[in-house]
Amino acid sequence: MEAIEHPPIFRLPGIPDHVTYTWLVMVILAAITFAASRNLQLVPRGLQNFLEVVLEQFMQMIDDVMGHEGRRYLPLLATLGLFILTGNLMSLVPGLAGPTGNLNTTAACAIVVFVAYHGIGARKQGVVAYLKHFAGPVPLPLKPLMFVIELISHLARPLSLTLRLFGNMVGGHILLGVIFLLMGLDGLIGWALSGSVVGAVVGGIGGVVTIVFTVGFLYPLKILVAFLQAFIFVMLTMLYISGAIEEAEHHSEHH
Amino acid sequence: MRRSLILVGVAVLAFPTAAHAADGGWIAPFAVIAAGIGMAIAAGLCGLGQGRAVASAVDAMARQPGAAARIQTAMIIGLALIESLAIYTLVIALILLFVKGINFA
Repeated sequence: MEAIEHPPIFRLPGIPDHVTYTWLVMVILAAITFAASRNLQLVPRGLQNFLEVVLEQFMQMIDDVMGHEGRRYLPLLATLGLFILTGNLMSLVPGLAGPTGNLNTTAACAIVVFVAYHGIGARKQGVVAYLKHFAGPVPLPLKPLMFVIELISHLARPLSLTLRLFGNMVGGHILLGVIFLLMGLDGLIGWALSGSVVGAVVGGIGGVVTIVFTVGFLYPLKILVAFLQAFIFVMLTMLYISGAIEEAEHHSEHH
Repeated sequence: MRRSLILVGVAVLAFPTAAHAADGGWIAPFAVIAAGIGMAIAAGLCGLGQGRAVASAVDAMARQPGAAARIQTAMIIGLALIESLAIYTLVIALILLFVKGINFA
């Protein structure tokens, strides 16, 4: 991957890039929220208004998916969503590295989700009852089998959350890296500047086509993917949490 | 036709072996081929699956425009779950291509 990916401009010695840029995302988000909430007003203006709109979007999503009682999980969900979205968008800025393009960052987010939704489920219902529900509504001899299957499916959830975000981001980065490699000074634009007529024609046309393709299609696509992946991460987190809560309600209905 | 396809396949599979059998590193070329073919199959079948999902979702949205928002949310979640299967293949392809720690020899 080092062959086609340019290292970011700013690096701290001895600290991996994704950690540095995770700190940068944290600084950006903390600065924005501090600036927005420093002087709270009843009629919001400017930055406060913008952040309130963003959080209202999150609340709308939560109301749609989890119902009204899901609002108490707004801090977890909105923090995850804003962190992942900022990280995804930051990886599109040339010269910066995206923290979400690294397996460690996405795994950290997914493990937070895993621990959080199990903790919420266990607290709603008690540990033993929550674990008992993993066995499902099947006859007693089948319960151990169901328990193992449910356990594996729950363990697969953080894996798929991790790999989905990571794979989408890194796949896009590699695609952009290959396109830039093809069109850079070693590729089409290099041909166009090489001085020969054929090289100028082929490299010029090809360079213009790849630049138009990148700016007009690939970059908007990657911005869309950045929003979509943050949305999907938050949405799946909501589904997992509401699954853990609903299991509790369902369980209590049974008895 | 069929025999020529088989011959092409044998030639494709035999070429890296012949080229690199001398220095013993013949697993690395196979890893590159496996990454390419695997990603192609995964992308094609993922496209078929997502096409079915989107087709029926658009169908449902055309029949019930009032429920379009909810259908779209469900469709996006379903697409993410389908897509993650192709993403697993992408991760395996990336491991095959880029991870130097695996002992290919």
